[in-house]
Amino acid sequence: MTQEVLRTESLARAFGGVQAVAGVSLSLYAGAVTALVGPNGAGKTTTFNLITGNLRADSGTAQIRGKPIMGLKPWQVARLGVARSFQDLRLFTHMTVRENVLAATETASWFWQPGGRVARRQRETRADAALDATGLTALADARAVDLAYAERKFLSMARILAAQADIWLLDEPASGLDLASRIRFGQLLKDAQARGVAICLIEHNLDVVVELSNRIAFLDQGKVLAEGDPQTILKDPALAAIYFGDRPQEAA
Amino acid sequence: MLFLQLLLQGIQTGALYALTAAGFALIFGATRIFHFAHGTAFTIAGYVFLACWRIDQPVLGALAAIAAAVLFGLGMERFVYRPIQRHEGSFFTVFVAAFGVAVVVQNLVGMIAGRGFASVDTSLSMAEEVLPEIFLAPIFWVAISVAVVLFAALSAFLTRTHAGVALRALAQNPDLLRAYGLSSNRLSMLAFAVGSAMVAPAAILTAMTTGLNEAVGHHVMLISMAATIVGGVGSLRGAALAGLMLGVAESVALQFVDTQWAEGVSFLVLFAFIIFRPSGIFGVAQTR
Amino acid sequence: MIAYAANLATIVAIFAILAATLNFIVGYAGIFSVAHAVFFGLGAYAGAQVALLLMPDALLACIAGAIVAGGLSLCLALPALRVRGEYFVAASLGLQMMATTLFSEAKAFTGGIGGLVGIPRPTLFGIEVGVLPLALVALALILFLTARLQRGAFGRTLQSVRDAESAAEALGKNVAAAKTLAMAFACAGAGIAGALFALHLSFVNVESFTMDQSVLVMAMVIIGGTGTLWGPVVGAIILLSLPSGLAFLPFIPPTEVGAVQQIIYGLAMTLLMIFRPAGLVGDLSKGRATS
Repeated sequence: MTQEVLRTESLARAFGGVQAVAGVSLSLYAGAVTALVGPNGAGKTTTFNLITGNLRADSGTAQIRGKPIMGLKPWQVARLGVARSFQDLRLFTHMTVRENVLAATETASWFWQPGGRVARRQRETRADAALDATGLTALADARAVDLAYAERKFLSMARILAAQADIWLLDEPASGLDLASRIRFGQLLKDAQARGVAICLIEHNLDVVVELSNRIAFLDQGKVLAEGDPQTILKDPALAAIYFGDRPQEAA
Repeated sequence: MLFLQLLLQGIQTGALYALTAAGFALIFGATRIFHFAHGTAFTIAGYVFLACWRIDQPVLGALAAIAAAVLFGLGMERFVYRPIQRHEGSFFTVFVAAFGVAVVVQNLVGMIAGRGFASVDTSLSMAEEVLPEIFLAPIFWVAISVAVVLFAALSAFLTRTHAGVALRALAQNPDLLRAYGLSSNRLSMLAFAVGSAMVAPAAILTAMTTGLNEAVGHHVMLISMAATIVGGVGSLRGAALAGLMLGVAESVALQFVDTQWAEGVSFLVLFAFIIFRPSGIFGVAQTR
Repeated sequence: MIAYAANLATIVAIFAILAATLNFIVGYAGIFSVAHAVFFGLGAYAGAQVALLLMPDALLACIAGAIVAGGLSLCLALPALRVRGEYFVAASLGLQMMATTLFSEAKAFTGGIGGLVGIPRPTLFGIEVGVLPLALVALALILFLTARLQRGAFGRTLQSVRDAESAAEALGKNVAAAKTLAMAFACAGAGIAGALFALHLSFVNVESFTMDQSVLVMAMVIIGGTGTLWGPVVGAIILLSLPSGLAFLPFIPPTEVGAVQQIIYGLAMTLLMIFRPAGLVGDLSKGRATS
């Protein structure tokens, strides 16, 4: 029914002697929200970095709609329709909110963007729509560095919205948001989902996971232990034991 | 035999480079300040020594040179770097401010002491034939022993004393600092004092060998910086070793190229390291 | 007196071009080059050689200067892609030192220490012209171009790279290409300034392309204010009027004017960094970005 847009097979990466990601096979589907869940150090952010080309995988493959993306640079992966957010946001701090979002619509690195005036107007419309959707229109001329915490998180989302990607990799997008903001954020995700965007998000708060996602991939020690719908996964007592830290076999 | 002669000369130059580079690396390691006016301390120390020498006070001159270098380093820390860091100025703000000071001192020295090379002649700098076709001045042995003694003293200070250990810890992990019960201001001043004092012997020996000019600070600063990067930022040993290596490389290169290219050799090495191994010989990869 | 003023105006215009192009990479791309005089020099030698060997056409000289300087900007783009911050400053200082040696040794291209002399008066399409109007037109053109680029998408790309390189990449920006382009543009501009400089003085030698000159241009950018359009121009005017202003003060011996000038701008750089880091024209609230 839903179309698979991104797929990784046995992605692996070690740092020194530590196997951070040990063979992650994961699929993302158009119009589905997949939550990556797992204890700290399970390899969630590393998995993102391997997909986006920020890190090189030791082994394994990844493809977007059948096109292999291993070895591509981050900007090349981005141009295939992948947008990501960072845990520490990485906003363009000394640019205004609107410039932040406009920058997300401009991918050409040449002196000028292709398409002339018409394309520019379209980009501006897109940027304004993204600001509108994230409720930042009133703050358009404020500098990113002057925003409050929740506003920064929404600016990070606005950049992704404006980038027109159809695969979103979101690293803890809802952490630290109050309830009202979280509801607004949920609405953003639902709208994107309805447009057929494939979303993958890292989230620690299981209530939020249940609220927002319709699939869960449970990661531990660099491996996907289980994949499926939220209810089944979260009710599995073995997984819950790992998640809440009373692991039987090992320490640290 | 030319090669051996050049090698020995290179070791002498390299020993002095190692001293200034270690001072620079110590300051950078402990404070994360790229002390671009490090060479200026060298200039000041050298000219203070020259002035005292002219009135026949070499011992007083040496002490005054050390004092002047230390005072300059402390002054920079207190009146230039600290105010800038209070505003959370970027590294570039620090660089420009330090460079401004370097320009001012260079021109003041030029106006007061006159421009061009100045040196002192001592019996120590008279070269003798120690082996067939190998000429060495006694100052060679002085330079080597001064460097060895100072490095021994420095490493004793860094490993045996409370403050020294704290300085090293600061270089590795600034958060450990509070555990030592020393304020960061105090430690930062200590780093500047010790690091700046290291240039004084090098400046005095340079005055006795190749001589000084008012622009010598640029060269010293660049060599110290190059050695720190090539050695691997955060590693004193690396900086000292790289300083020695650069001195030898510059000198030995003379067998193949003319004098005017010698300095270029150091920058070629620096350039190559920045492009191929920015973390340096002993450095851990910097992820920024 | 008029000749004196015209000479000063020409030099100011040429240095304003240098400062404006340096400001473009320093203020927008966050690439702190201390080697701008290298590209000024390359442009000057290229322009001078064209005038000496082919014909003294100003446009041709400028184009040659821009191509040589812009092309060789890759020497500086390479480290800029690898390292940042202090490391890049160190690399650019290294490049500056090597270039100074090269300029005084590569006699075939630069005439060695003595430099290139007897560069003919410039013409434009066969008609003899003064350098002042040419320099003013070039300055206007460069200011217009930098303003356009800075306010447009390219400026945003550079600023986004400056503020958060990884995020810019994650949005599909080819960071290496953008940095290389910015560098090529700025260095080509410096090359044009160099060609005009050679035509104006009718002789060039390595003294004009040393580290001191790089620092002088840097001081113009800093004192005017990085990341502003007019700051570099203001900085160029201030720093270049300084020596002529000092020459009128009777108590400074003429031999020391150069030193006094350097002391003043050195002091100005240090004090500005401590008390007003955004420069004279800069907007303080916009201070410089770190990390």
